[in-house]
Amino acid sequence: MRIGSAKETYAQDGALFDSRTQWALLGVLGLALLVFPFVASQYWLYLACLVAINVASATGLNILTGYTGQVSLGQAAFMGVGAYAVAILEKQLGTPVLLNLLGAGGAAMLVGLVVGIPSLRVKGLYLAIATIAASFILHFVFANWTRVTGGTAGLNVPPAKIFGLALDTEFRLYWLVVPITVLMLAGAANLFRTRIGRAFVAIRDRDISAEVLGIPLLRYKLLSFGLSSFYAGVAGGLWAYFFRSVTPESFPLLMSIFFLAAIIVGGMGSILGGILGAVFMTLIPEVLKLVVGWLPNANEAMVLLAPVRTIVFGVLIVGFLIFEPHGLAEIWRRIRRFFHLWPFRS
Amino acid sequence: MKLSKWLTALLAAAGIASAPVAQAQEEVVIGGSIPMTGVFAFAGIGINAGMQDYFKIVNDAGGIKGRKIKYVFEDTAYKPDVSVAAFKKLTGGNKINLYYGDSTAFSRTINPELDRLGTIMMAGASFATEINDPKKFPAQFMAGPDYSEQIGILLRHIAKEKPKAKVAIVYSDSEFGRDPVNEFREMSKKLGLTVAAEIQTAPGSVDVSTEVIKLRRADPDYTIFHGYVLAPIPEFVTQMKKAGSKSHFMGTFWTMDSSTVMKMGEAGDGFMGVMPYRYYYDTSAKAPMLDKIRQMRPEYQSTAYLQGFLTAMLFTESAKRTLEAGKPLDAKNLKAALNSIKNFDTGGLIGVPITIKGNSVPVGRIYRADMKAQKMVPASDWIAVE
Repeated sequence: MRIGSAKETYAQDGALFDSRTQWALLGVLGLALLVFPFVASQYWLYLACLVAINVASATGLNILTGYTGQVSLGQAAFMGVGAYAVAILEKQLGTPVLLNLLGAGGAAMLVGLVVGIPSLRVKGLYLAIATIAASFILHFVFANWTRVTGGTAGLNVPPAKIFGLALDTEFRLYWLVVPITVLMLAGAANLFRTRIGRAFVAIRDRDISAEVLGIPLLRYKLLSFGLSSFYAGVAGGLWAYFFRSVTPESFPLLMSIFFLAAIIVGGMGSILGGILGAVFMTLIPEVLKLVVGWLPNANEAMVLLAPVRTIVFGVLIVGFLIFEPHGLAEIWRRIRRFFHLWPFRS
Repeated sequence: MKLSKWLTALLAAAGIASAPVAQAQEEVVIGGSIPMTGVFAFAGIGINAGMQDYFKIVNDAGGIKGRKIKYVFEDTAYKPDVSVAAFKKLTGGNKINLYYGDSTAFSRTINPELDRLGTIMMAGASFATEINDPKKFPAQFMAGPDYSEQIGILLRHIAKEKPKAKVAIVYSDSEFGRDPVNEFREMSKKLGLTVAAEIQTAPGSVDVSTEVIKLRRADPDYTIFHGYVLAPIPEFVTQMKKAGSKSHFMGTFWTMDSSTVMKMGEAGDGFMGVMPYRYYYDTSAKAPMLDKIRQMRPEYQSTAYLQGFLTAMLFTESAKRTLEAGKPLDAKNLKAALNSIKNFDTGGLIGVPITIKGNSVPVGRIYRADMKAQKMVPASDWIAVE
């Protein structure tokens, strides 16, 4: 139960976490993330890294689509730019991992800024089509700029190395992927406590009003595109270190739709929504497989129920859209509200 | 005294605890990332059935040198990240010796992990030329000719049937499609054939009318399609035939399932292609293993089934040879055992005895579609490439 959270200063009002319980829970979560690699199997570590990468990219898209209202279907292609940047930097220059990841983010950001230019003239579905076009162009570049990208065969990425230690197992990669994702999440959450973040929200809610209020649309829309692509680029860079093989087919359009679905299911315009959506979209197919695995005659069941799993996954997504259009984050908020006054009022 | 008692008790407990593990190690464990859903499910279901059937045959006959085969698999939906997850899950819960991977992307992604582990030999659904390199992919192989070798087999057949013929290749703009294009060019030159056209189509394209016009202008004697399962091949064949073209049309392995070719309808009559295995219904020669398959499954089984079946056979043979030599079942020994296979009889699945020098089985045969009989019939003898 939470009783009273009086806010006496502006700083308190703008704080991300406003009660000791929240800080304690955050501490528990942090501790769990620290302990997790020591107790989890290779499979769960693999999934944890994959989820973290997807969370980073979904959060990037959430900044652009959820907070700024600019629909983009280019997230996977921006991740591709980041992944290629890491592959090239690692192979050609052998620069340090963190620098490569920053380079990946920077490269994707530059591309994102260019792709964002049409957002000044077109909105909604039209912008989505413009970003699809951009992603096709990027795929064409990945496949045909053979000298740099290795063409359709792509590039193999050497393992990331930190202080001479090769990060070639999930356990080691976890310590790279998860902290960076946490850092990116903290950055995104704090962004919306600043003028920039509030400008993004103003543009989303009514761009003409935002301009009247003195927000330069050109600068802020492009900034949103740039930031979102930076997130995608870093996520793509992590992806490259994680899978160690980058090809033009690694980042299909379907992957962009996956991220869009993740933030819609999770809850647009909410950092928690991006996290929950990415976790949901990545883990539910695996969880459904686990459930089928518990059935008697699991091997036969897996063959027979394979299409059913796909249908259940689809039905779950549709179900969320119908019954909770504000996404998983809203469900989480409802649960929290219930416990705020529990057991005095339920 | 007390300490030694404790130690004895601990050791005994450890002994009890390790007993089932030791028993589990008796099994030869084969894992698989199998696409039971998604775009490649048509093949995955067949591959899975083929492997399961062969393992059943071996287990019913007492296993490999008394060790039973345990087959564990996971659905991948033909997505490389899910395939890797399946690999991690299966290798985490089982001591896997052999593994079946579902795509080129997966084979490439998992390769450093296979090298690092050194305990697993892998084969899979990919016939990518790149994987047929024992130096880069020391722990992998494929149960058939790679895509370049498949094109080589087709071109050899063409050169024999019509020397100096004009040949064209139509391929999809994908990694799969582009794979054998260089080999097509070089081998055509070597065999004295003229390259009339190289036509690239966008992956998944349906309207190919401009490409058909290009192909008509080139007027090749033979047209090879690669990088597709079916579409847009029927479109090409129908439009070319309507325009009076006399070109012979050919495909590579993943197009060649009987049911796929039959979907082309009338226009597909005479469609040829390379097949590394005998078709389920091919009774043109003695094939005891095919007889066994027909007994187990009276209905038609796809070429993917046969691919899974032969892969399982090669897995088993490698494990058998390794165990016979008294060596542990690790990647190096299994691969050495695989490469010791010389003039091996596949029970008629492949019409000639096979020898595996590198990462592929470079043998195939040309089959032709007979639409009246609704069957693929042999159009050449078995062709081996070096």
